[in-house]
Amino acid sequence: MIALKRVGQAVLVIALAYVLVFLVLAAIPGDPVSAQLENPQAGYSEAEKAQIRSFYGLDKPVLVQLLISIGNALRGDLGISLSTSAPVSSTIGEAIPSTLALAATALVFALLIALILGFASQSLGEGRLGGLVRSLPTVFLSTPNFLIGLVLIQVFAVQLGAFSIIDPETAGSTAFAALTLAIPVSAQIAQVFITALDTTTALDHTEVALSRGLAPVRVFARHLLRPSLLPTVTVCGLVVGELLGGSLITETIFGRAGIGTVVQKAVTSQDVPVLQAAVVLSAAVFVGVNLVIDLVLPLLDPRLRAPREAS
Amino acid sequence: MTRPVGPAPVGPAPVGPAPVGPDVTRRRLLRGIGAGALGLAALPLAGCALEAAHAAGGSETPEDELTFLISNLDGGWVPSKSAISSYEANVWQQLTDKLVHTDEKGTITPWIAESWDVASDSTEFTLHLKDGVTFSDGTALDADAVVANLDVWAKGRPDAGIAKVGLFPGSTYDGAEALDERTVRVRFTAPSLSFLPTLGYHGCLLLSPDSVARSLGEQSDLAHQIGSGPFVLDSWAASDHVTLVRREDYDWAPPVLGRSGAAALRRITFKVLPDDTLRASAARAHQSDVSYNVNPQVLDSFTEAGFTIEVPRYLGFTHGFRVRTNVAPFDDVRVRRAITRGIDRDEILRTVFTKDWESATSWLQSSVPEAEDHSDLFPFDPDSAARLLDDAGWTGRSEDGYRTKDGTELAFTLYPTPYLTGSVPEAELISQQLGRLGIRVATQKIDVAAYSGKVEDNPDQGLAEVTRSFVDAGTVAGVITADGEDWFALGDSDERLADLAGRVAGTADRTERAGVIDELSQHVLEQAYFIPLEQNVQRIYVQTPELSGITVNAVAIPSYHAATKTGSGADGTGADA
Amino acid sequence: MTAAVLTTGDPSGSPEHAPAGAPAQAGSRLRGLRRLPLTVWLSIAVLLLVLAFSLAPGLFTSADPAVGVPDRKFTPPGWQYLLGTDHLGRDLLSRIIHGSASSMTSALIAVAIGVLVGGAIGLVAGYAGGWADAVLGRLVDVLLAIPSFLLAVVVVTALGYDTRNAAIATGVSAVAVFARLMRAEVLRVRTSVFIEAARLNGGSDAYILIRHVLPNAVRPVLSLAVLQFGLAILTIAGLAFLGYGDPPPASDWGLLVADGREHLLHAPWLVIAPGLVIAIVVLSVSRLSRFIDTERNR
Repeated sequence: MIALKRVGQAVLVIALAYVLVFLVLAAIPGDPVSAQLENPQAGYSEAEKAQIRSFYGLDKPVLVQLLISIGNALRGDLGISLSTSAPVSSTIGEAIPSTLALAATALVFALLIALILGFASQSLGEGRLGGLVRSLPTVFLSTPNFLIGLVLIQVFAVQLGAFSIIDPETAGSTAFAALTLAIPVSAQIAQVFITALDTTTALDHTEVALSRGLAPVRVFARHLLRPSLLPTVTVCGLVVGELLGGSLITETIFGRAGIGTVVQKAVTSQDVPVLQAAVVLSAAVFVGVNLVIDLVLPLLDPRLRAPREAS
Repeated sequence: MTRPVGPAPVGPAPVGPAPVGPDVTRRRLLRGIGAGALGLAALPLAGCALEAAHAAGGSETPEDELTFLISNLDGGWVPSKSAISSYEANVWQQLTDKLVHTDEKGTITPWIAESWDVASDSTEFTLHLKDGVTFSDGTALDADAVVANLDVWAKGRPDAGIAKVGLFPGSTYDGAEALDERTVRVRFTAPSLSFLPTLGYHGCLLLSPDSVARSLGEQSDLAHQIGSGPFVLDSWAASDHVTLVRREDYDWAPPVLGRSGAAALRRITFKVLPDDTLRASAARAHQSDVSYNVNPQVLDSFTEAGFTIEVPRYLGFTHGFRVRTNVAPFDDVRVRRAITRGIDRDEILRTVFTKDWESATSWLQSSVPEAEDHSDLFPFDPDSAARLLDDAGWTGRSEDGYRTKDGTELAFTLYPTPYLTGSVPEAELISQQLGRLGIRVATQKIDVAAYSGKVEDNPDQGLAEVTRSFVDAGTVAGVITADGEDWFALGDSDERLADLAGRVAGTADRTERAGVIDELSQHVLEQAYFIPLEQNVQRIYVQTPELSGITVNAVAIPSYHAATKTGSGADGTGADA
Repeated sequence: MTAAVLTTGDPSGSPEHAPAGAPAQAGSRLRGLRRLPLTVWLSIAVLLLVLAFSLAPGLFTSADPAVGVPDRKFTPPGWQYLLGTDHLGRDLLSRIIHGSASSMTSALIAVAIGVLVGGAIGLVAGYAGGWADAVLGRLVDVLLAIPSFLLAVVVVTALGYDTRNAAIATGVSAVAVFARLMRAEVLRVRTSVFIEAARLNGGSDAYILIRHVLPNAVRPVLSLAVLQFGLAILTIAGLAFLGYGDPPPASDWGLLVADGREHLLHAPWLVIAPGLVIAIVVLSVSRLSRFIDTERNR
């Protein structure tokens, strides 16, 4: 029941995001089709102009356009790009694999970095070195990711020849783009992870387990890592938004042909249908991932079931 | 991911079994695991880098293959449409042949047309075609095929939405006929001196009659464009790449290229990389053989690093501003002249460009045979520029120190052309220079998509940058007259200009026409209808030093038929030489 | 760019925090000040310096940020030009200093919009409850669902590209987090005893809101606002980097990085210097925010 209600809420949020983005974008003055039609060198007659505008549905009031657009979207038709005339679904579809590869790799890297920082924070204690490790997430979060990306390209691609610039979808190139994206994201995961580890370490049962002579790695895995995983998984859902938003700049810097680049192009050419689809897709991914995490977490940890239902 | 790097991964942690207090144990345990984890996690990162390094190192282009980086190939493949694009032309030149070859000086030499006869009044031309030429689909490149191409260049196919070739003298074109399999006669209703040189223009490319007859939609697919050139299409994907492979039975290269038989290179890959910085970085990392259009301000560092920089100049107009004289404040000749004199062209050359660039000497490139040096008509002279502005009444000063007249500030906006690398810093510098005169010049970066609406076709934009090539100076008549492009927005108001333009178009004798063109140039410069900046270099090729044997044509587009990278068949080791 | 997850402002209002660097005790304000950790002092110093840059750039540099000496282009950092010169011979340090005002004001505008609009939404939703809460809650959900940087890009596209609009767009993208925090705070305070008492005494809703609810929510919101100020600097820099801010010769920090990018090969300082300035300022803000946060929870 609760699962069903949550799915319903998620769908509602995505639908509302669709409407909101549509209304915001309706404020853009002009559109690429009209600009093209009004070009005197194109030499369209008034009748032809009207015909083409009505083909794109640009002659109708905004609210009518919205209703038509929702109706089409429900049937799986996302419309056609105003600047390239290609179907929006294929424009977006072609870009998804690139962004997916980037974001997934970045998430893995971010988790790895957070893991390292987490362990280091515990093993180094609260001394000077430990303090340094604990402040790293803030440093990562404060560094603009375009700076990271530019420096990585300059050092690893140009100076060391470690990855291909002209073919940004290769494994090496993707790895470095993902690292760029992962650094600020890892900081957010690390902050939560470290806090959780701190709480767990302070608990007695860790020490008890150790003094009982259990193998250290097992102690770490069972008594430290597992309890800290829950908040960490939750925050992973939240950083999905960062991964998608950050891909805009990362893809630009690395020349990748993903969703971020599609958004960039759509923005400069005022290609509303494409922009709309890309933004709503991002929102849907964010909502979807967090929904899944919400539903799955209680299964992982029985303690979570009761309070969740109560709220 | 194979080579272990960094500290040993976590094993059974080296924690002593000695019974110590729980706190110490925990500390040590955690420390050990932490260090191990650090090393463990460093592995994939380092591994990926190493793997990638191997991949990059191992995939260097073979010596008979060429990688060409270009910012975009999105202009479409309809020949008449892409003809104006300086990007696609790089591909077309390898895929197709032309009737004649026109070189950087405007000299015409044979190609598919072995020879030609010209009637004394320049209204009738007879072309004699080379024997045995075929398109890559096997059909013959004969007189009928040439006629089919000529008709489309001259008139286009308006019913099918296919435009004519802009520079072709289509308005006087009377028709072409095949006299026999290898002879074509072309007739014009008026003297058309520009006909022959235009045949070497990158728009006039020979395609199979089947390709020429296809619909607009089909023509947008490069795979449907069958040429007779030294390379044929292997594969292409929009916004990504075009790959060409050598045509083994090719044997009709123009003699000026200095190579007969098939091309020396086996494969050319045009890779699209829109980002200027990435293109420069890729070139620097030796990931390409040729990188097209790199910011001129970066070029010196490439020269130092041992790269070859080619900056071929086309025949055409210099880089400069055409002025819409009906837009204030440019409706006053004194303001136009003041701007012309307020621009320090030497400073622009020193700052934005390299020593390969030269100052403009007219509004025509100095390589145009008809061009004379008129640089005395637009000297850098800030004092006289200031006097001109004073005379024109711009004597007030605004709060920020800019000139005003009747409460209006002397100000305008420049949109640097996206068709010229370096135009943005150049506009910024011009803004600085004119700022010293008291003119406020804003600069706004703009992309290809928005450029025509904001600048070229916007009647309210006073200054529009010109980057226009031509193969025959007769073209100038068409761009300045009221029934042409009316560059200066004069309509019929300047009778002298209209008269000179008419005489340029109608003269049958080349020497006589040269005199008229010079008179016209002086008039345009005196009236400051055109504000020249520098000799236009629209195509910048950053090349690996190993590459040689490249010939460029009148519009500065390279042919790679005879090109080699050191060691690959430079001396006839190629398969068919 | 980074706004969805925050180190402070846990909606439950009871965040767990890493132990603070300083051993702190409750004491007089003065004693607390003297015990500020060194990093906090440094952060304050950095922010004061940037504030001074913004208010009186002329005090720190005499070079014109918009006009350079073309013949001195690409001068590496040295005594004459501490941070070197750019592609037109303009003093980079001067450009960074003169760009401070715009970068700082933009971030302030963004945070102000976030606090005011988000705060109002949260206040109304939390206090009124019922359908107002439901409607506003959905709106906040939607705003949270769209990746914040993407949302900022969409809004700035709709408004038109310049720095002010980029600031507004950044503010809009931060509305949701403030709304969520404010609502949580209001809910927490609303049920407390003294509010009940005020209500029993016949205080009007508006009066109770302003007199009792708001003051109690100020501290957590302030702490979030400081953190968001840092994030706003990053977002605005990102927008400027992509070309959605004022064009040159403006010298917003993000724009400086974008401009210098082409010259990274041979004049790396043009990217590194403004990039590090952004990082240092944001780092200082974050440190300060974290400090305020730990003080609050003491």
